[in-house]
Amino acid sequence: MDDFLIYSGYIILLFNLFLYLFSFSRKGKVNIFFISYLAFLVLVQFSMEVMFHMGKNNLFFTNVYFIGQMVVLGLFYYSILKSESQKKFVLWSLSLALLVLIIQYIFDHTQFLKFNLLEITITSLLVVIFGLLHFYNMLTDKKEYYYFTIGVVFYLLTSTVLFLVGNLTIGLTEELKLMSWRLNAFFIIIYYLIILLEWKVSFMPKKKININ
Amino acid sequence: MTASPVYEKEIVAIILYTSCFFMIVAVFLIVFFYFSRKKIIQKEVEKKDLEIQYQREQIHAVIATQEEERRRIAQDLHDDISSKLNIVSLNSHLLTSPNLTEAETKEITDNIIGLTTKALENSRKIAHNLLPPVFEKFGLNAAIEELCEEFESSKSVKIYYKNEIDFDDNEIDRHLHVFRILQELMNNSLRHGKSSEIWITFKKSEGVNICNYEDNGIGFDSKNEANQKGLGMKNIDSRISFLNGTIEINSEINNGIAIVFTF
Repeated sequence: MDDFLIYSGYIILLFNLFLYLFSFSRKGKVNIFFISYLAFLVLVQFSMEVMFHMGKNNLFFTNVYFIGQMVVLGLFYYSILKSESQKKFVLWSLSLALLVLIIQYIFDHTQFLKFNLLEITITSLLVVIFGLLHFYNMLTDKKEYYYFTIGVVFYLLTSTVLFLVGNLTIGLTEELKLMSWRLNAFFIIIYYLIILLEWKVSFMPKKKININ
Repeated sequence: MTASPVYEKEIVAIILYTSCFFMIVAVFLIVFFYFSRKKIIQKEVEKKDLEIQYQREQIHAVIATQEEERRRIAQDLHDDISSKLNIVSLNSHLLTSPNLTEAETKEITDNIIGLTTKALENSRKIAHNLLPPVFEKFGLNAAIEELCEEFESSKSVKIYYKNEIDFDDNEIDRHLHVFRILQELMNNSLRHGKSSEIWITFKKSEGVNICNYEDNGIGFDSKNEANQKGLGMKNIDSRISFLNGTIEINSEINNGIAIVFTF
């Protein structure tokens, strides 16, 4: 059951990356940072899987994941936001967050080997806020990465809590420990499916030859 | 049972961070809603402003057309009737002068009779131009047929008119708008388009009356906004909006025009 959830997540993610790469190479319409984000997700998941099979602690990859996600998605929203003040806001908040996290790691680098609460909060918050900014712009303009933004906001709001209690689950028994991660794997699948929906709505080639 | 201090600290930290996270998200959501509302209201106001401006333009067009019509009627009355009645009046005065021979009296009365006949004819023509009697008596179809005949007889143009609708006489007010639109379009086709052939068809599809109008004139660039802002076009626009219909104008330079409107 667990493996099924996790691996179907991987498969959908890979499928997404493939589809977006296909659209990107065909028309070049897909945002480069969006592709980078998908590639980054694949890379993180793959490395974590490999480390797991090698029997090593792969927990520090969640930190890489959170920081990388914030940076890549921050750049992504930076590139699609319209007004100068919003762009400035994204750049400044990104730099500030990175600065805060670097300072934290300088003073306490043991944080890197567990769920870093400050980091999870800041990175998720920023991405949600960028998403809200984009929503605000989309109120009157045409919809662009609409479903993806819904997915990001939805997934980050739910998963952040799961990650925040992550350190607690380490001390729990096997049965309960996996509970929250099963939930997370389920949300990830929904998230990736929303990304798939985004591709279908925005990038699927319109002219289709009917093969019947 | 006592939990270890490290564990307790961890729980407190988690609770703090979680509540912080949701608090900030909530604040941003509220700010988001506030600004969204503002933005939507602003858009709404802009839309209303546009509507008002459009209505203002329509009213302007209506008044301008009214003035133009008045000027035209005044000119017609002055040129065709007043001038003739003037001469009639002069001739009548002549009749009162003494010592007129029989022949002179006859000439003057002939003159008067001829002029009054002409003035009468002209006044009938002016009235006819304002509202063709055929329209009121026999309805839209007959009026358009007559209009086509008039255009064909006086100007070098061939009109192909086809009607598949049985017009309801109770809707004569609405039909007058359709008639005026066609009149305007045909005038435009001749005056500006230099057309030699015009096609008019009426059809009914799914309960909606559709009129197709085409000509082979010089046309205009329908993508150019400036071409759609003329007085005549504005007039047609406001008539269409009276009829709760739609209009679509397609034209290319040297390719005639094609207009479809519903009513």
